[in-house]
Amino acid sequence: MSVADWTSYKLRKRLGKITFFAVLSLAALIWLVPIIWMFSLSLTPNEILKTITTSLVPIKPTLANYIGVFQAGLTPRWFLNSIIVTVVTTVGTLVLCAMAGYAFARLEFKGKTVLFPFVLAGLMVPKEAMFIPLFLVFAQFELHNTYAALILPRVAAPLGVFIMTQFLKAIPRDIEEAAELDGASRWTIFWKIMLPMSLPALTALGIFTFILTWNDYLWPLVSATEKEMFTITTGLASLQGNFAQATELGSLMARGVLASAPLLLLFLIFQRQLIRGIAVGSGGK
Amino acid sequence: MSDQTLAAQAPLQISRWRCWWDRNRDTVDAYLFLAPFLVVYSVFVIYPVIQAVYMSLYKWDLLAMDMREFIGLKNYFRMVWGSGITWDLKHLLVWRLVGLATIPLSWWAALRGSMRRANARWLSIAAMVLFAGILGIHPGESGGRWYDAVFWSSFGNTVQFVLLSTPLIVVVGLAMALALNGSGRSLGLYRTAFFASYVFSVSVLTLIWGYLLQPQRGILAAFLANFGVDPIPWLTDPKLAMPAIVITTLWWTVGFNMVLFLAGLQDIDPTLYEAAEIDGAGRFMQFRHITLPGLQRTTLMVVVLQIIASFQIFGQVYIMTRGGPGGSTRVLIQHIYESGFRDFRLGYASAMSLFLFAIMFVVSFFQFRLSPQEE
Repeated sequence: MSVADWTSYKLRKRLGKITFFAVLSLAALIWLVPIIWMFSLSLTPNEILKTITTSLVPIKPTLANYIGVFQAGLTPRWFLNSIIVTVVTTVGTLVLCAMAGYAFARLEFKGKTVLFPFVLAGLMVPKEAMFIPLFLVFAQFELHNTYAALILPRVAAPLGVFIMTQFLKAIPRDIEEAAELDGASRWTIFWKIMLPMSLPALTALGIFTFILTWNDYLWPLVSATEKEMFTITTGLASLQGNFAQATELGSLMARGVLASAPLLLLFLIFQRQLIRGIAVGSGGK
Repeated sequence: MSDQTLAAQAPLQISRWRCWWDRNRDTVDAYLFLAPFLVVYSVFVIYPVIQAVYMSLYKWDLLAMDMREFIGLKNYFRMVWGSGITWDLKHLLVWRLVGLATIPLSWWAALRGSMRRANARWLSIAAMVLFAGILGIHPGESGGRWYDAVFWSSFGNTVQFVLLSTPLIVVVGLAMALALNGSGRSLGLYRTAFFASYVFSVSVLTLIWGYLLQPQRGILAAFLANFGVDPIPWLTDPKLAMPAIVITTLWWTVGFNMVLFLAGLQDIDPTLYEAAEIDGAGRFMQFRHITLPGLQRTTLMVVVLQIIASFQIFGQVYIMTRGGPGGSTRVLIQHIYESGFRDFRLGYASAMSLFLFAIMFVVSFFQFRLSPQEE
C-alpha cells in the first residue's frame, strides 16, 4: 500500500465517521423534537398559542403557565397522589421482594420446590387483563378511591422476587457465615448484610418499579373514579378529553412537563442502573 | 410421681422442642420472610385469576351484584359465536394462505437445522388448526351475524396493531442498538436521547402526539408543508389512525428494545469478530454469521415481550381516539373496559379477559418451546 493509498483510506474512514455522526445527530434531534416542543409550548403565553403553535423555541417565554397550575385546579393534588402511591409502592415492592428473594435464595425449607414455581407462575398473569376481577376484590372491601387500592395490587411483583433471588444467590456466603458464628439473627443478617450487598439489584428494581407505577394508567382509571383521587397520569388524561385545548394549550403542556419531571430527573440520574435493570429483569425470563 | 422423674423429664422435653426447632428453624424463618409477599401476591395476583374464571360463568351485573345468575359457558358462547355461522374455504383466503406459509417455512428451518423437528411439527399443527380451520368460520351470507361483532372487530384491530407494531419496533430497536453499540461518551449521549422517550407516561405521550399529529396546529403538518404536503388528518381518518398509533408507540417504546438488544450485543464474544476479521470477513458477513446468530435468544425474547405488550395496548388508543374513527382503533382492552364499566357486564368482561390471558399464554408457550435449550 502506497502512502497516498494509506492517506486516502484514512480520509475515507474519517469521512465515513463524520457522516455517521451527522446522520445520528439529525436522527436524535428529530427524535427529541416532540419533547422540545412540549417544553417550548409550556413556556409560551396562551395568547400567542392561539395563532402560532409550531415554534420549537418559546416566543415571549413566560412561567405563567406553570404558576397557573398551582393556583387553580387539581393538578397539585394529583401530583401529590402520584408521589404517595409511587413511593409507597416502590418501597413496599423492594421490601417484600427482597425478603421473599432472601428466603428462596438462602434458606432450605419444605415446600420450596412448589412455592418458587407458584411465584414464577405470576409472570404469566397479564396485569392489564385482570382489572375486572381485581375491581371486584376491592369493591367487596369498599376500598376504591383509596391509596390502598392504588398501591396493593402493584406491590407483589413476581419479577421482583425472581430478580432478587437470582441476585442474592450469587452473593458469596462467607460473610453471612461469619456473622452467624457471631450469633447474629436471621433478621440481622438479612437487614445488615444482605440488603446492603444487594444495593445494585435493589436500585434497578426500585427505579423500574417507580417508573411503571408512576405511569400506570388502566388500574388507577378503574379504581380511582373520584377526581380528588386521580393520579397525575389519569388526571392528565382526563384533561385531554374536556380541557379547552385550543385556548389553554400552554397550561396543558406545563402540566405535561410537571407530570414527567420526576421521571426525567430520575432517568438522568440513574440512567445506568435503569438500563441494567431492564437488561437483567427481562434477560432472566 | 417422685421429684426425681420430674426433674429428669423437663430437660428431655426442652431438648425435644429444641430438636424440632433446630430441624425446622430454616422452614419457620423462610415462611416468616415469605409471608408478606405471599399474602399480597395470593390475594391480588393469583386470586383475581380464579375470580375471573368464576365470574365468567355468571351473568354478573355491576349495578346489581347480588342478583348474579349462573349461566355456564354462555358468556364464552356469546363472545365467539353468532347466529347463522358457517364455514367456507374462501373466507379471509389471502390471510389464511399467508398464515399457512408458516408450515413450509418451519419445515425449511427444521431441515436447515435451525429449528427442532418437534417444534416444526407443533407449529404446523397450530397453523393448520388456526388458518385452515378456525379462520374459515364466519356468519353466513343470509342474515348471519356475530352475537358480539364489536368483540371481533376490536380483536381484529388488536391483532392488526400487533402485526404492524411488532416487526417495526423490533427491527428499529435492533438497528438502533447496532448503530449505538460501543463505548465512548458520544454514543452514550445518543443512547440517552433515544431512550428518553420511554420514561414518559402514556398521558404525556398522548398529550404531545395528539397535538403533534393535528392537521391544523400540529408540528408535523407544519414540517410537511415545507415540502408542499397538505395537512393529513392522521387521527380522524379510519385508514390512518392505526398507523399513527403505531408510530406514536414506536417513538414511545423502541428505546426499551434497543436496551435489550444492546445487552444482547454485549454478550457476544468479541474474539469471534477478531477471528472473522483475520479471515477477511466483511462487515455484512460478520453481521450475518456472528451478530444475528448471537442475538437469537435476545431477539426471541424481545419479540415475545413486544407481542405480549402489544396485545395489551389500551392507553394510547383510548386517550387519543377513544377507539375511533368509526371503531377503527378500538382494541380488546377497551372493549373489556367498556363492557365492564359502561355496560356493567362484569361476567362477560371477565370471559374476554380470560380470552386475552389465553392468547398470552399461548405466545409464552411458543417462546418456551422455541428457545434454544442449552445446559
